[in-house]
Amino acid sequence: MTCNTFRNSTLLASAAICLSVSASAETLRWASTTDPQTMDPHAVNSAPVLSFLNNIYEGLVRRGQDMSIEPSLAASWEPLEGEDGWRFNLRQGVKFQDGSDFTAEDVMFSYQRASNEAADVRSWFAPVADVRVVDDHTIDFVTKAPNPLFPDSIANFMILDKGWAEANDAALPARDAENYATMNVNGTGAFTLVSRDPGVKTVLAPHAGWWDEAGHNLTEAVFTPIGNSATGLAALLSGEIDFIQPIPLQDVAQVESRDGFKVLEGEETRVIMFGFGHEHEKLLYSSDVSDANPFADPRVRLAAAHAIDVASIDRVLFRGKIEPASQLVPADISGYSEANSSRPDYNPDRAKELLAEAGYPDGFSFGLKCPNDRYINDEAVCRAAASMFAAVGLKAELSTGPVRDYWPQLREDDFDMYLLGWSPGTFDMEHPIRFLMHSQDNDKKLGSWNFGGYSNARVDELLPMIQQEIDPAKRQMMIDEVVKTTQSEVAYIPLYTQPLIWAAKDNVDLTQRADNFFMLRWVTVN
Amino acid sequence: MKEFLKRSEGVWLFIHSPAAILAALVALLTFIGAAFAPWIASVNPYDLGSFSLFDGLLPPVWQEGANPKFLLGTDDQGRDMVSSILYGARLSLIIGLSAMVIATVLGVGLGLAAGYYGGRFDAVVMRIADIQLALPAILTALLIDGIARGVLPADMQQDLRIAVLTLAIALSLWVNFARTARASTFVQMQKEYVQAAIIMGQRPIRVMFVHILPNILGPLLVIMTVDLASAILLEATLSFLGIGLPADSPSLGTLIRIGMQFMLSGEWWILWIPTLFLVALVVSINILGDFLRDVFNPRLR
Amino acid sequence: MVYFIFKRLAQSVFVMLAVAFLAFSLFRFVGDPVSQMTGVETSVEDQERLREDLGLNDPFVLQFARFTGNLLQGDFGFSYRTRQPVAEMIVTRIPATLELGIVALLISLFVGIPTGVYTALRPRGFVTQTILMTTLIGVSIPTFVIGIMLIFLFGVQLGWLPTFGRGGTVQLGGWESSLFTVDGWRALILPALTLGVYQLTLTMRLVRAEMMEVMRSDYIRFATARGVPMGRLYFRHALANTLVPVITIVGLQFGGVIAFSIVTESVFQWPGMGLLFLESIRFVDIPVMGVYLVVIAFFFVLVNLIVDLLYVAIDPRLRIKDVS
Repeated sequence: MTCNTFRNSTLLASAAICLSVSASAETLRWASTTDPQTMDPHAVNSAPVLSFLNNIYEGLVRRGQDMSIEPSLAASWEPLEGEDGWRFNLRQGVKFQDGSDFTAEDVMFSYQRASNEAADVRSWFAPVADVRVVDDHTIDFVTKAPNPLFPDSIANFMILDKGWAEANDAALPARDAENYATMNVNGTGAFTLVSRDPGVKTVLAPHAGWWDEAGHNLTEAVFTPIGNSATGLAALLSGEIDFIQPIPLQDVAQVESRDGFKVLEGEETRVIMFGFGHEHEKLLYSSDVSDANPFADPRVRLAAAHAIDVASIDRVLFRGKIEPASQLVPADISGYSEANSSRPDYNPDRAKELLAEAGYPDGFSFGLKCPNDRYINDEAVCRAAASMFAAVGLKAELSTGPVRDYWPQLREDDFDMYLLGWSPGTFDMEHPIRFLMHSQDNDKKLGSWNFGGYSNARVDELLPMIQQEIDPAKRQMMIDEVVKTTQSEVAYIPLYTQPLIWAAKDNVDLTQRADNFFMLRWVTVN
Repeated sequence: MKEFLKRSEGVWLFIHSPAAILAALVALLTFIGAAFAPWIASVNPYDLGSFSLFDGLLPPVWQEGANPKFLLGTDDQGRDMVSSILYGARLSLIIGLSAMVIATVLGVGLGLAAGYYGGRFDAVVMRIADIQLALPAILTALLIDGIARGVLPADMQQDLRIAVLTLAIALSLWVNFARTARASTFVQMQKEYVQAAIIMGQRPIRVMFVHILPNILGPLLVIMTVDLASAILLEATLSFLGIGLPADSPSLGTLIRIGMQFMLSGEWWILWIPTLFLVALVVSINILGDFLRDVFNPRLR
Repeated sequence: MVYFIFKRLAQSVFVMLAVAFLAFSLFRFVGDPVSQMTGVETSVEDQERLREDLGLNDPFVLQFARFTGNLLQGDFGFSYRTRQPVAEMIVTRIPATLELGIVALLISLFVGIPTGVYTALRPRGFVTQTILMTTLIGVSIPTFVIGIMLIFLFGVQLGWLPTFGRGGTVQLGGWESSLFTVDGWRALILPALTLGVYQLTLTMRLVRAEMMEVMRSDYIRFATARGVPMGRLYFRHALANTLVPVITIVGLQFGGVIAFSIVTESVFQWPGMGLLFLESIRFVDIPVMGVYLVVIAFFFVLVNLIVDLLYVAIDPRLRIKDVS
């Protein structure tokens, strides 16, 4: 913010100019490692896109600063009577950024667009049987079975204007080739797009006709992707940007030691874990065990869990910023099993005993696969873990690679043990049960990230019951049972919850939400 | 007699060049350290069982909080820096030297032949060189890596990463040799002594390697020294871009790449000690290269 | 001469096709674009459908034929990552890379040639030894370390220069240039220096070696004996004779500059083709990678052609060879 002082004019006048300028023009320049790939809210289901577009588009419901669900374009909602599903009563008087009115037709249109085969977000609508417009400001979502969590699960389902999309030939999400909605927007959200140069710079400005009271004081927000974390940090420290997400852990002290900057630390909802090739007949990468799969034995899996010293990983690699994990979600997620909150302790002697009991007194060698560009310190954690495994006789042949060929390897069952991080998209324990613990079932679209093929009939039986249970206490009991079962069978070794570290100039007030979304509507520049 | 003279002359020059002596000393010590790393180093940084996270991020001995067991401190995995550097230098030198040798043999051979025969052969070699040049080193590395992944069985890929990387670096360096050798050969071809040799009916191989090659060594030696250094640096750069060696078998370049994360965090030794070591090594190699050029090419003195 | 140019053009087309083929064959190994294009919640079935629709399940030959066929018709396809037309993405990134590369090359020539000449003429001087040592150390530090050191020294500690991006740019008929604003030049200094330092050393050492060689040759000795003025001798006679290898190197360097600009662009978040390419590799954005390679090949072929023509223009002896 520049303030021109005219030395020849009266002091009073120049002071007045300064004040009026600083009160009216606040620009926030911020950076992150990845550019949102598209401005189309239904084309790509990835965190950078959803996070960015939540500033421009809005859903029927939205998440507050503490992640709780609150009314947004729907002023209220209630279960349907006589059938399964939800009725959403839409907010009156909401305008899109081009001035057109928001109605139930726009919701209907957005639903059709987002559940289309060309949309990447269509899995959100798998439980939906039918959608009916009741009147201009009422819409019913009928579900195939009782679905108490449906409103929570569509917080990122963003509504765009039917008339605008159809007029600009963007009625379907751009999957193969771009369309108008790839580079242009028309949402109801607090900010609108001023200009976009993909991969270089994207400029946003407040939406003057926004229905809600603006909690920010910005007049402009400029986003720049900076891929290299050292460059990003330099840009912050040199004052060229006001805020960056994330910064590397080891640089926290550097930022804190400088005047005028602050670090925001929190826990992300992503739990990092090791997975096993449960259903493999034999090890793929072993030099000494070629005819069996020791990891099929829960004692061996438990031994592996006892071999890991999460406290040391925390102290050295994460400088005390991680929270050890006992299950596949962190404690503040709904459905977290309080009853099963302890994890296997670090106990190398017990690990050796268990290995001996299982028939491997001298241990064995196996292949450990890890990504090296996906999670914070992913490669370092795997190296440290391999060294800890080696101490009890589990000789890990570590192989790391970029995520672009890591997922294909996991899908092709090319591992003995692997590292995975999971963030529950619905912020509920049901999410990891559905994707990671239920048996692989492509027809029902269940267990799609259960690469190792963990399978337990009782877990499979409990999942639909958990999804449909309305009574929170009963639901929690069933979840507790799933967590207890998978813990005792060591389906996975949950390690820790990944930290969330942002840095900003001291004069920027903002809210760090646990899903790593950066919402401009809570930013004030002083 | 001539050879003897040259050698004794070289010795005389060497004794009178403090820079060359120092460089030779540094290079020799590095080579010895690298060659005997398994016997000198206190731990094997490739053996995951030999170090522990408990010892992570310890500073060098002259700083507070150090453990005398680790002379130059430890990295984030608890690996002894001295051992890492010795093993890293070993790997870097193996990769750099092999890549340089492959590139020299390939490039000089093709360049000489292209300059000698000219015509269609020259055109074909130069077009292959163009294709190679059009593929930046990072792409060559990706390509070789990709082919290896497609052809080799999974458990061999990890072991062959070094060979794959060496080949990729060699392939991105040979063109320099080929084009320089070709250009210089063209010039030499006009000279009487070459024409005389051809007229006398000497075999092309003999003309190329006995007559032409010694006379174009000057520029080639410059490129060789610079390229041994670039091979080592290229390896570091490739791993910075994410297609180098895995972090569990670090070369000097990989150590620097890992150290980059700690540039601002206070653990300066993880970055700067391997970097200083690399710079000292590469500078020594370059000084020795310059010196050798002077010896082989007395006219430049 | 016309025949020569024609022949080289035909060869150039062959080179570009070969590059396209090589580039294309490597795509299959880089990774799976579909797992990058879809979110975690996307079902396996939907992923498979997308793979089928993009033609990724087709035989390799068919995919390559389609790629080159479309390319020849001027259809460069759409990016998997941003869904934008690839031609547009690359074209908007070309100016940034070329301006950076040319400025880096100019730095390396304007500093490299004079220092090369100087160090050749005063091979034992203190200044020469200092220059040689400094540049040696300069090329012995990996480019990415130099870049980040420069950023922290001049960007953060001293606050003189920007740490990332291109600064102010001006549109000149579709060419987005940063050469016409003070801001743009300020942003250009550090990346161009980082990119140029390696080439500079190479140029200097080469000019020095050639110059020393030439100074020993008989005709220079004769010229000295004849009393040709020293300045005229050095620059008119000696330097002119070093130009052939220097031109080769400049041609080669332009390739090196473009290749290494990938690293520099990544460190300085410089919005050129190299950065785009790196992002595309991470994302397995096959159409962008393919077209980038073909465009790079085109630049190379063009530069090489110019170098070859300059050869003939500068060194008349080569003309005789061409005729025979």
